[in-house]
Amino acid sequence: MAALLRGLRAGSILRGLCSGGPRYRTVQRRVHQAAVLYTQDYSKPDSTSSSSTSSSSSSSYHQHYQAHASEQEPKIPGSEAEGPQPNTSYANQDGEQSEDYETEEQLQTRILAAALEFVPQHGWSVEAIAAGAETLGLSSASSEMFTNGSGDLVLFFVAKSNAQLTEILAEQHNQVQLGQAEPKKTAQFLRDAVETRLRMLVPYINTWPQAMSILLLPHNIPDSLKHMSTLVDDIWYYAGDRSTDLNWYTRRAALTGIYNTTELVMVQDSSPDFQDTWTFLDNRIQDVVNMANTVKTVQSTGEAVVQGLMGAAVTLKNLTGLNQRR
Amino acid sequence: MAAAMEGMRTWRGLRSCWGARPLCSAAVPLCSRSYGVLPPPRDEKEKALLHRMLRVDHAGEYGANRIYAGQMAVLGRTQSGPLIQHMWDQEKKHLQKFDEILAENRVRPTALLPFWNITGFLLGASTALLGKEGAMACTVAVEESISEHYNSQIRALMETDPEKYKDLLQLITECRDEEMEHHDTGLEQDAQSVPGYWLLKNVIQAGCKAAIYISERI
Repeated sequence: MAALLRGLRAGSILRGLCSGGPRYRTVQRRVHQAAVLYTQDYSKPDSTSSSSTSSSSSSSYHQHYQAHASEQEPKIPGSEAEGPQPNTSYANQDGEQSEDYETEEQLQTRILAAALEFVPQHGWSVEAIAAGAETLGLSSASSEMFTNGSGDLVLFFVAKSNAQLTEILAEQHNQVQLGQAEPKKTAQFLRDAVETRLRMLVPYINTWPQAMSILLLPHNIPDSLKHMSTLVDDIWYYAGDRSTDLNWYTRRAALTGIYNTTELVMVQDSSPDFQDTWTFLDNRIQDVVNMANTVKTVQSTGEAVVQGLMGAAVTLKNLTGLNQRR
Repeated sequence: MAAAMEGMRTWRGLRSCWGARPLCSAAVPLCSRSYGVLPPPRDEKEKALLHRMLRVDHAGEYGANRIYAGQMAVLGRTQSGPLIQHMWDQEKKHLQKFDEILAENRVRPTALLPFWNITGFLLGASTALLGKEGAMACTVAVEESISEHYNSQIRALMETDPEKYKDLLQLITECRDEEMEHHDTGLEQDAQSVPGYWLLKNVIQAGCKAAIYISERI
């Protein structure tokens, strides 16, 4: 399975093999970027907009900000505070009364966000999207706007959760920088980050296996892999990883493995508050830490052995008189 | 721009006077922190372009490091040892610079680093086995490729927006100047007298071009 995913990831790099026309892909990207924007907008703006390098989602924030500067106002407090109510965002704009134009991506974002609350009832499906659209005062036929249907909904949720996690991590990072919190050790940090992210699945845990299978559909795999790699990159960045060699890859691969296996355990877990899942997570992280320590030990042992051999060779050369400069 | 070039030439002159590492000063970017070097990208396309550029530059410096390491392993205790060591030290500084930039800007390093590790070392060591002239010929070929590559990057950045990329341009220009210095040193050290010089040079340069192409993408 992992090999299959790797192969498909390699295939996704050759973008031309993706199904769907160019417009479809653009719409997909915009929906996910808009999902990221949606989450960012309704939290503190300074923590995410301060540096565009803090996460890849921030750069799309900048892109979107410059592209739709005049349309940013309607998205922020209005839509967040009254999600399920009919379209009052136009009335809540500050100073942009004339610009009552909402882009398609923003509309899609609002519909998908509203649809999430119907997921426990209808599953990750077009019915949930239709129900969400209805709460916004739109016709249920507006779910036809989503050519990928349930895939759009799941990917929106994944993007939104990843963005939320990134904000939480950035906030913790700021706290540490300001000296208001102690920096965590790497293993503890990874454990907490993965637990925080997995806890976002708890409201939807009964339907999550369906979502996972949707993410594994061939036309969704490029996007789900991209979200996965962004998530893992963000977690490692805030954990303090600044490696620029092969460690970059091995660490991210290890964390991807930990996350995916823990997710699988979680959907089958029936213990109170998912205690078994967190125990499993602890053990997996401990495995990785042990592995890293073993590698270090082997390396230093190897170096010591090589030094010993070199010493022996030099001694031999001295004894046989081969080491004299001529 | 001309004034900046003049300033850099003077600075380079000072550095070569000293030989050893110069003291850090605020006006000298090679010593200071590099967090300001890259401007925040405007959109995804620009970010992808910049990351690609940095990835391949990082891979190039890494490879150059390994080539000099290979040369030192063979020729380290001969007369040309100190010269190669000096050039290697300069490459180490370049690599450190690019490491910092990659880390700050969360650029993915190329996945082929272990491969360049081995290939670079083997290239350096095998050409050094041809003697000092062989090592210098390898240096000339590689440095010429790298300078050409840096020049094309400088051209691209200048065409886009020289003001915005001022710091990055300065860094790449300095690296390119030092690579040209290595190239000239190699020529001075009788690189062209190695038998099969043209063949060796062209083969190595073809390999470098392929390496650059691959490292941009993978």
